[in-house]
Amino acid sequence: MSHPAGVVEHTADTSSYDRTGDVRMTSSHIVGLVARREILTRLTDKGFIVSSIFIIVLIMGSVVFQVLIQSGASSVSVGITDGPQDFSTAIEEQADVLGLDAEVTEYDDESAAREAVQSEEIDAAVVDGNSVLVNESLDDALGAAISGAINGLTLAQRLTDEGVNPDILQPVSLEVMSLQPAADAADEKGLVAFVSILLLYTLLIFFGQFIAQGVVEEKASRVIEVLLAAVKPWQLLAGKIIGLGVLAFAQLLIICAAGLGGAIAFDVITVPGAAIATVVQVLGWFVLGFTLIAALFAVCGALVSRQEDPQTVLLPMTLILVAALVLAITAGQNPNGTLAKVTSFVPALSTMVMPVRVATGSVAWWEIVLTVVLMLATIVAVVRIGGRIYSGALLGKGGRVKIRDALAAERVS
Amino acid sequence: MLEFDGLRKSYGTNLVLDDVSFTVAPGQMYGFCGANGAGKTTTMRIALGLARADAGEVRWKQQPVDLEVRRRIGYMPEERGLYPKMPVVEQLEYFGRLHGMNTAAARKSASLLLEGMGLGERSKDALEKLSLGNQQRVQLAAALVSNPDVLILDEPFSGLDPTGVDALAANLAERRSRGVPVLFSSHQLDLVERLCDAVGILAGGKIVASGTVGQLREREANRQLRVVIPGSDGRWARELGYVRVDSDRDGEVLLQLDDPGRDQDVLSAAMASGPVSHFGWRQPTLVEIFRETVAA
Repeated sequence: MSHPAGVVEHTADTSSYDRTGDVRMTSSHIVGLVARREILTRLTDKGFIVSSIFIIVLIMGSVVFQVLIQSGASSVSVGITDGPQDFSTAIEEQADVLGLDAEVTEYDDESAAREAVQSEEIDAAVVDGNSVLVNESLDDALGAAISGAINGLTLAQRLTDEGVNPDILQPVSLEVMSLQPAADAADEKGLVAFVSILLLYTLLIFFGQFIAQGVVEEKASRVIEVLLAAVKPWQLLAGKIIGLGVLAFAQLLIICAAGLGGAIAFDVITVPGAAIATVVQVLGWFVLGFTLIAALFAVCGALVSRQEDPQTVLLPMTLILVAALVLAITAGQNPNGTLAKVTSFVPALSTMVMPVRVATGSVAWWEIVLTVVLMLATIVAVVRIGGRIYSGALLGKGGRVKIRDALAAERVS
Repeated sequence: MLEFDGLRKSYGTNLVLDDVSFTVAPGQMYGFCGANGAGKTTTMRIALGLARADAGEVRWKQQPVDLEVRRRIGYMPEERGLYPKMPVVEQLEYFGRLHGMNTAAARKSASLLLEGMGLGERSKDALEKLSLGNQQRVQLAAALVSNPDVLILDEPFSGLDPTGVDALAANLAERRSRGVPVLFSSHQLDLVERLCDAVGILAGGKIVASGTVGQLREREANRQLRVVIPGSDGRWARELGYVRVDSDRDGEVLLQLDDPGRDQDVLSAAMASGPVSHFGWRQPTLVEIFRETVAA
């Protein structure tokens, strides 16, 4: 080629800007900048905040629901007017045997007791020694408790009358010897694992959508051209995943802390140590799983052209998550089955299946290591290949981008 | 020096760039002209690493342009793009930092630019709330915020009103005076002619002409002599054996000489036929040069 002759030559080959304050642009600095922007953008986005609160409330609500179901010991209230000494104690004792929590109130006369029943202050009132007043019908268990109490007291009275020491009626206390001492803890671990998996699934879907949406937005608004002129695609990808990951993890921590605290406070969980260990374990799986799923969502988002049609491209991702959830539930019922074992090694599925297996079944240490290694390897592969697809697809202008074309359009650096 | 050296690029069987080479010197404003699809945008995107050249390279200060260098380039893509929902000043700050500035410097530069563009009041507004013209200003600010060493702007003037054009031109002139090489593409050849130190014309993937506007004019083959004799017809010119008359209207005659050295003979002949009010070599506009070179 020939350079044009006589172009205006300037002596200075450097511009006169002050560069002393410039930052060394390491990859971690750039990734940090991208992550920071993601976090700040989401925290000022009303849509994100509202949906986050919604998710937290939803999950808290389901925990409270669990609490109500689990705290099955129903309570009853009984009124009495007269009757033998110790009558109220006897009713309480009998009710307790039957799994009822009875509260006994004494009333001055029958009409006061009747009023209390009518106003539904109490479930039933015992008058005249052996008549029971109820609004509609007497609860079977409560009825049994009351008649048990009356019979017991009457029997004791008769024995005393006959000169027999009623203490012979003291029941023999049974000594319970559990053949599976840890069954209780395992059940609770299973419950915690299941709730955690549900939580994981919800958060992955939720944040996956946000990641994909963010990617589509950058592509649709063409800001990607300006970004990729200064930043490597994998740095952008990593920054997005980390930024949203921090938000997701924070949300997960809030939910876990509140959920676990609530569950322990309401006695849904009686072995907090095991439950906390399970939650910590789930958090660990979450970090791995989130990274992988988020990267996959980001790459899928990059294949979309317009804001309108991400759902079609995201559908496979959503299906993978649903499959993982179903497999995790199945694994909960049969943690040592072949299906559970195999799927607990498959990256993406393992995020949800493995924690359930660990909580409910017996898992060898090498199995966990293998799963983690497979997961890490997949993450590296997805971020690498994903970075190429990402840049190729993001810079493409047309409609849906095919993965092959995106890979072929790899850029210089 | 910003050097484009032997760039070649094809998409499938379609050859887009065919050995494109040119140089932009520091402090030089280089206008990049060409019809739609001539390859201007592809050339610029290759410089920014957004497309890969099949052959050739782009160098800055004798070094191939890599990501490190690219951070020192201010770029305005043809398809404008910023974050629609992000406050204007925050985006500028973000781009400044992505290009290596520290937080304080990026913040300062962003507010200064916005104030300079009369957008100081709107700096906290989301970009999408601004008018299109103002969004265009912000886009330019995004290219300028890091005080780049090199500016590459794809159609920066399109969509601007005359005030906007003047403001942008002044802004670019200021950067040029600091020794920044400015490469921009434009369809508005009158603008290029007015603003640029040098021009490159791209046609069919090749640089068909490159140099200062003056150099291009000199190279122009069919130079015309313009002679005005009010009230006369052009017969006096047609009777001369050594000229070709291109046009003859209201006493104004445009003619070409077989031998440019005989221009004084033409003047004598003209004066003999009437009072000459204008005589001179006509300066072809860039538009004409463009038509000429692209058609050739």
